[in-house]
Amino acid sequence: MAAAAATAAAKGNGGGGGRAGAGDASGTRKKKGPGPLATAYLVIYNVVMTAGWLVIAVGLVRAYLAKGSYHSLYYSIEKPLKFFQTGALLEVGIVPSSVVLTSFQVMSRVFLIWAVTHSVKEVQSEDSVLLFVIAWTITEIIRYSFYTFSLLNHLPYLIKWARYTLFIVLYPMGVSGELLTIYAALPFVRQAGLYSISLPNKYNFSFDYHAFLILIMISYIPIFPQLYFHMIHQRRKILSHTEEHKKFE
Amino acid sequence: MKHYEVEILDAKTREKLCFLDKVEPHATIAEIKNLFTKPHPQWYPARQSLRLDPKGKSLKDEDILQKLPVGTTATLYFRDLGAQISWVTVFLTEYAGPLFIYLLFYFRVPFIYGHKYDFTSSRHTVVHLACICHSFHYVKRLLETLFVHRFSHGTMPLRNIFKNCTYYWGFAAWMAYYINHPLYTPPTYGAQQVKLALAIFVICQLGNFSIHMALRDLRPAGSKTRKIPYPTKNPFTWLFLLVSCPNYTYEVGSWIGFAIMTQCLPVALFSLVGFTQMTIWAKGKHRSYLKEFRDYPPLRMPIIPFLL
Repeated sequence: MAAAAATAAAKGNGGGGGRAGAGDASGTRKKKGPGPLATAYLVIYNVVMTAGWLVIAVGLVRAYLAKGSYHSLYYSIEKPLKFFQTGALLEVGIVPSSVVLTSFQVMSRVFLIWAVTHSVKEVQSEDSVLLFVIAWTITEIIRYSFYTFSLLNHLPYLIKWARYTLFIVLYPMGVSGELLTIYAALPFVRQAGLYSISLPNKYNFSFDYHAFLILIMISYIPIFPQLYFHMIHQRRKILSHTEEHKKFE
Repeated sequence: MKHYEVEILDAKTREKLCFLDKVEPHATIAEIKNLFTKPHPQWYPARQSLRLDPKGKSLKDEDILQKLPVGTTATLYFRDLGAQISWVTVFLTEYAGPLFIYLLFYFRVPFIYGHKYDFTSSRHTVVHLACICHSFHYVKRLLETLFVHRFSHGTMPLRNIFKNCTYYWGFAAWMAYYINHPLYTPPTYGAQQVKLALAIFVICQLGNFSIHMALRDLRPAGSKTRKIPYPTKNPFTWLFLLVSCPNYTYEVGSWIGFAIMTQCLPVALFSLVGFTQMTIWAKGKHRSYLKEFRDYPPLRMPIIPFLL
């Protein structure tokens, strides 16, 4: 869902690393692009993020080749993953799209990285982690390069196509990885009473992190289909729009 | 007398929905809405938004046709606001819930706490006091809705009732669960803390009520006039000297008092969320006061004296 929300937030409103008028497919939007200084900042931001996720991708491949297996690759990219995914918090302020949608997306990714994977060490060797890391990595490389090219008004059709097509596989893949990872964490959370507080205490408050994680998993049921079908709808709109444009070229 | 013609188009599709001829020049938008309802009974007046421009602001019910910038054939654009529900209905529902729900927890109705606690009573005085305060607060709100408030809009979108009730009922249940829990821990500073908190709560409840009465007196029954509120002889209303929305100030104060009284984190969180929302409302109200009245007192802040 963190994967789904990322692209939905971005595509639905042209958010993420900023957008330019021409590159984005919502042709009806007449909003001015950002000024030259802001554009420079956004381009740099998007380039850095693209590079960062490429580093993660390369790190995964190298670790796979070195180890000879795809298990426990998390450890080889743990630091850049944490750095660049957490860094996406910077997007929340600068993005034209709804602050609510963007922060929701980034928060859910950051939650998975820190409050689940980092906090519950026992799940770090699970294969489900690799599943969502790969999904996020491919999605983000395409997304940030999409923004970079859009800002420079030179968007290759391949990138646009990739962004609006690969999600069909990457979303479910990412969501599966996320859910399986949270599920794997449950017994360890319960056993350790992780992040939980029980009565009695002087602030008359209690929190059961185990129950909370289950609620999070349940919330995927209404949220994921909405985001997914929003993306499908966007794809139809944007890719057919480009087809029409190409006809007249 | 020259009659007007009014055509009403759908704001999105520009489809011609209605053509009214022989409309009186001094007809109000409200009257036009009533005429529009006849061929389209599913769009009762409360859910109609009529504007001069498809993307423009809604015209007010009191606006008069001949005073609008239109020719003798006026074109109005219609937008469906969706199913509407009256403010009174929403308020009564959203306030009755917490009143009732809190009592379920207070009386420790079965299936909430362990079975050995069913229908038992807390041994802490503060728990009984909290129930009285919480219940009083919502009874007051219900009575104010029925007898005090004068609403400028009759209705709001239907989906609001689900949103609002989730908020009020959810938080009420969450707070009540802990305050009435068999393992509840009374305040650290004991009776002193409770007395102070009670004083804050009572003062703020009186204050909030005083402001509601003062605001009511500003507006004659059945009208929608807006005037700058000023302090009256009632000392509680003197807060108008410093803030635009002292009703919200007192409301926040009440809940802070309740939070100190119960020393319960969920209550503090509820106060914080409520404060955030009321600040947004207060800033909006403050801005519209400033826009509407040139002579608006400059010392006033929206909700917190001198600060916010």
